[in-house]
Amino acid sequence: MLGHILGRLGQALVVMLVMSALVFIGVYAIGNPIDVLIGPDVSQDIRLDTIARYGLDQPLYVQYFTFLGRILQGDFGRSFVFGMPVLDLILSRLPATLELTLAAVCGAALIGIPAGIYAGYKPDGFAAKAIMTISILGFSVPTFWIGLVLIIAFAVELQWLPAGGRGATLPLFGVEWSFLTANGLSHLLLPACNLAFFKLALMTRLARAGTREAMLSDTVKFARAAGLSEWTVLRRHVLRLIAIPLVTVFGLEFASTLAFAVVTETIFSWPGIGKLIIDSITSLDRPVMVAYLMLVSFVFIMINFLVDLAYVGLDPRLRRAGSR
Amino acid sequence: MGVGPLGERSPGGATPIPIPFPTRGKGGASRSAKDLVMTDTPLLEVSDLATFFHARAGVVKAVDGVSFSLKRGEVMGLVGESGSGKSITGFSIIGLLDPPGRIERGSVKLEGRELVGLPADELRAIRGKAISMVFQDPMMTLNPMLTIGDQIGLALEAHESVSGAERRQRAIAALAQVRIPEPETKVDFYPHQFSGGMRQRVAIAIALLHRPRLIICDEPTTALDVSIQAEILTEMKELVAELGTALIWISHDLATVASIADHVCVMRYGKIVEAGPVLQVLTRPQHPYTQGLLDSLPSRAKPGAMLARGAGTDAAPPPRLPRQAESGHRRADLPYVVIETVGKRFQRKSGVLRLLAQKAGLVGPLPAVQAVDTVTLSIARGEALGLVGESGSGKSTLGRIVAGIYAPDSGHVLLDGEPVMSPGDRPHKITTRIQTIFQDPFASLNPRMRIGDSIAEGPLAHGLVSRAEAATYVAQWLAAVGLDPAFAGRYPHQFSGGQRQRVAIARALSMQPDVVVCDEPVASLDVSIQAQIINLLLRLRQELGLTLLFISHDLSVVRHLCDRVAIMHRGRIVESGPAGEVYDNPRDAYTKRLLAAVPVLPVA
Amino acid sequence: MKQPVPAREISPVARFWAEFQESRVAVVALGVVVLMLGVAIFAPLVAPQNPYDLANLVLMDARRPPGFVGSAGYTHILGTDAQGRDLFSAILYGLRISLQMGLIAGSLAFTLGVTLGVGAAYLGGRWEAFIMRVVDLQLAFPAILLALVLSALLGQGKMQLIAALAAAQYAYFARTAHGAASAERGKDYVEAVLSTPLPAKRVVLKHIFPNCLPPLIVVATVQVASAIALEATLSFLGVGLPVTEPSLGMLISNGFQYMLSGRYWISIYPGIALIVLIVAINLVGDRIRDQVNPRLKR
Repeated sequence: MLGHILGRLGQALVVMLVMSALVFIGVYAIGNPIDVLIGPDVSQDIRLDTIARYGLDQPLYVQYFTFLGRILQGDFGRSFVFGMPVLDLILSRLPATLELTLAAVCGAALIGIPAGIYAGYKPDGFAAKAIMTISILGFSVPTFWIGLVLIIAFAVELQWLPAGGRGATLPLFGVEWSFLTANGLSHLLLPACNLAFFKLALMTRLARAGTREAMLSDTVKFARAAGLSEWTVLRRHVLRLIAIPLVTVFGLEFASTLAFAVVTETIFSWPGIGKLIIDSITSLDRPVMVAYLMLVSFVFIMINFLVDLAYVGLDPRLRRAGSR
Repeated sequence: MGVGPLGERSPGGATPIPIPFPTRGKGGASRSAKDLVMTDTPLLEVSDLATFFHARAGVVKAVDGVSFSLKRGEVMGLVGESGSGKSITGFSIIGLLDPPGRIERGSVKLEGRELVGLPADELRAIRGKAISMVFQDPMMTLNPMLTIGDQIGLALEAHESVSGAERRQRAIAALAQVRIPEPETKVDFYPHQFSGGMRQRVAIAIALLHRPRLIICDEPTTALDVSIQAEILTEMKELVAELGTALIWISHDLATVASIADHVCVMRYGKIVEAGPVLQVLTRPQHPYTQGLLDSLPSRAKPGAMLARGAGTDAAPPPRLPRQAESGHRRADLPYVVIETVGKRFQRKSGVLRLLAQKAGLVGPLPAVQAVDTVTLSIARGEALGLVGESGSGKSTLGRIVAGIYAPDSGHVLLDGEPVMSPGDRPHKITTRIQTIFQDPFASLNPRMRIGDSIAEGPLAHGLVSRAEAATYVAQWLAAVGLDPAFAGRYPHQFSGGQRQRVAIARALSMQPDVVVCDEPVASLDVSIQAQIINLLLRLRQELGLTLLFISHDLSVVRHLCDRVAIMHRGRIVESGPAGEVYDNPRDAYTKRLLAAVPVLPVA
Repeated sequence: MKQPVPAREISPVARFWAEFQESRVAVVALGVVVLMLGVAIFAPLVAPQNPYDLANLVLMDARRPPGFVGSAGYTHILGTDAQGRDLFSAILYGLRISLQMGLIAGSLAFTLGVTLGVGAAYLGGRWEAFIMRVVDLQLAFPAILLALVLSALLGQGKMQLIAALAAAQYAYFARTAHGAASAERGKDYVEAVLSTPLPAKRVVLKHIFPNCLPPLIVVATVQVASAIALEATLSFLGVGLPVTEPSLGMLISNGFQYMLSGRYWISIYPGIALIVLIVAINLVGDRIRDQVNPRLKR
């Protein structure tokens, strides 16, 4: 048990190191950052001076360790475009994305899992077929397209909801949140729906597949033979049997939704880190790209680690080492 | 939709008899008092029951007009080969058919109350309370995510409302009843902490929870080892007698049924072909099918004799090819096959970080399984050695080492003085003189290859035959194993299990081996098919002068086929010797227990 | 002897197809996929105009609604775009590019992923651990992020985008191939040919690989569909294809600005074409998934 957690923590560390190297090589070594830093018409002296100032004349591994050392001190450099420390920039944008992502993933899970269980429980019913058809749509239709349709329908034609922005926010724990005000909520609704649609389809399908398999299993048959009611079978047996894949996907999808927010944030002008990364890619703002990638990697790895821990909590077969 | 004759419900059906809950020990007395009142109506009356499966390919008449009745406390055996409809009969009685199966006609009456066509919730109220069921595979029936106590509690609450403390007490009592040691601790265990036999006991405890009047056991010991099977059989017999519960014991195995049931029904193609008291049916069978079934059993035939049921085939195998013809026994000073101090461990590899943590003493090394522990054996040329053991004894691992599929960790296997595996970094098999026949004919043939190609592949790759001769060669082998040579172009899914096993035998023998390792080749086949394959192996062994290593858990099959036998237990050989000697005068304690556990058929 | 074997020989492929046909939805979806592939391949013959031949474009005809009869004399059934292009023709050409991207990237990812996955399963030991660790690591990251970063780093262009898509997707194939190959590797028929013995190369190519195909086909359908969607998304975000390669995603993106002024068709119709294509591919994949899931076989 302890060995398991230690092993996982160790792996997470190694993965972070590998990621930092990949990001460094990817962003810094491909292309010449100096062309971004200074115009082509500056004198050779200034050019050399700048190269030396940024340590670009050093061997690659030296540059990498300098980079790593700075990161460990929390110094991700300054944004070329915004001219402020990257870490501050990202941290100021992060709550917006977190809020959007959480709303989307939780909404998707709350609707998708019950719908999927129902569709798996009665796979031949009309409702199940309807749920599955909608989920195929949700699975197939690109997020950006749904975003466009939502804007046309609810913002332009019906004019029920705003088309973009975060709306009014209120501070909580020193951070501004939209969901605390009615106006903010109305701004949150459309992008959250947009982002949730794909996840909703995914969770529905997963819950359905798991339920279908569980319903055909001997475990369920035996429970029915013992006279358990269908509701008890679903709630106590099936739900436990499908919990592990659902928790895994919930965790992983939370992570991937953070990344998918790029599209939604662009369409709805939601001021989160997704919008930031797209802007920095188009303007070649390397320090922001690096910091974003490192941050997202860190979040992914932490979520993977937490999912692993959740496994141990959920699956008694993994708990054995600790209990014996 | 059930088309049961709802109108025919007897007046007794409207008022189900209240079931007293006798405390343990007093059960017998209160039962017999009740029995005095109710002896005239049978407990269960099944008449003209028909259950069909409406599949796309057509209608499968799984159960087609089955009738029988069962008295209180009676034990009935329901015997048949796979596809006979015996399990579906059980599921039809308890009302647990999966679509597309449904009861077409007939009636099932429990104490006069019609069950066919009963609304779902009324049926549910009967399940687990008046009729309960135990399934075949105990590894699959319990929920791995819930503790044993929780699962018993759920079954308890299905029919009673109990407080938390009482629920726990009842669960502990239920476990004690099925003789699970330390029930107070075991109640908090999860299924994976139990062995297969223990899990089946838990399933039985759940089935007995509400003192049902009828328990249906669907092959409850088939997935278990013979010694566990013997324990469960004895316990089950005692429990139903103690509680006065009637029992339907569904099985393919005549011997287990003989040792538990009072009455037996023999099923075939959805119909009961013969029924009667066990002793009568098994010693004086009237129906030719029952007679054939009994004649197929190796335990009833003289060792080495052809089994009556398995009709033989006439085609002779192709002659030994010149390239292989010289492979006699050249090293007369050595036994033909030598298995010397062979050992094999299975261990999960530690990752780099785990290794570091192990070094630092934070975690221990991953547990290893010593599958085979310094085994030394030899087989003479032309001899058949039977390797017998229960699951987990390491017999299959040893077989795979001899066959050259696994490399041993220590020791070596020599055939005629030559190693079977190349020693070295990445050991690989170097001889074609040993071939293998596997247990599951559904898994041992490549599903995407025509059977003719599967047979020809090895001989072609090793130049035993040329491409031009291959078709004739394959046809000769198909004929030799009793298959129509025209089937060479078919795919495995088009054959039955017995036919596939014939193909697998042809594939192994077409390599012209001197030694054949048979890993439970008849274990997954029905008795009558098993007899055919045994006959085929007996004949081919004689005609080709093969040396056999025959691995099996079935003592009677080994006795029938083998000259010598080695008993394996926890990776070690505990006893070996001539078959007759070991069976008649076992010396080792484990061998004695194993032999005593085998259920025996009554002899006329 | 009784040998109840059907007279005909039924290959596994024929059996698979017969089973596939039982779902009418899936057959229709397959028909749609084939049809769209057909019109994409023969777009120059089917389309009323070559939308990228500047000589054909009349600016007067720009942004006309569906059903407008243009100056060239034929009806623009889906209207025209901002440059006066026949939208129907533009969609056919866009479909061609989108499918091309999806199929090329998909095949590339398939080849790379299957080689790695089957190879890892066959080699075992350290190589297997290393390859699969890398694959697992990559799978934890969403494809869109990877494709986004890669296409940003590699720059715009068809080849670059294909490389980015394939790099983002091969891991799914590797994971599936590895899982399937490991399962097959442990099956009796593989042990049987190993005990014959047959050469390793033959065991992998003739025995293990063909039996890994069914789950891989499922992944391939899903991945081609998602490559097409991914390409559209990247093009929409402006980091995908260059403007000279107007895929469906690009058409949608170009029409976006006119959407708010009520000229919805410029964006909506290419979107519908894209969705029909992806949904059809996914429906086909869904059917095959149900077919190859052994746990649903009864």
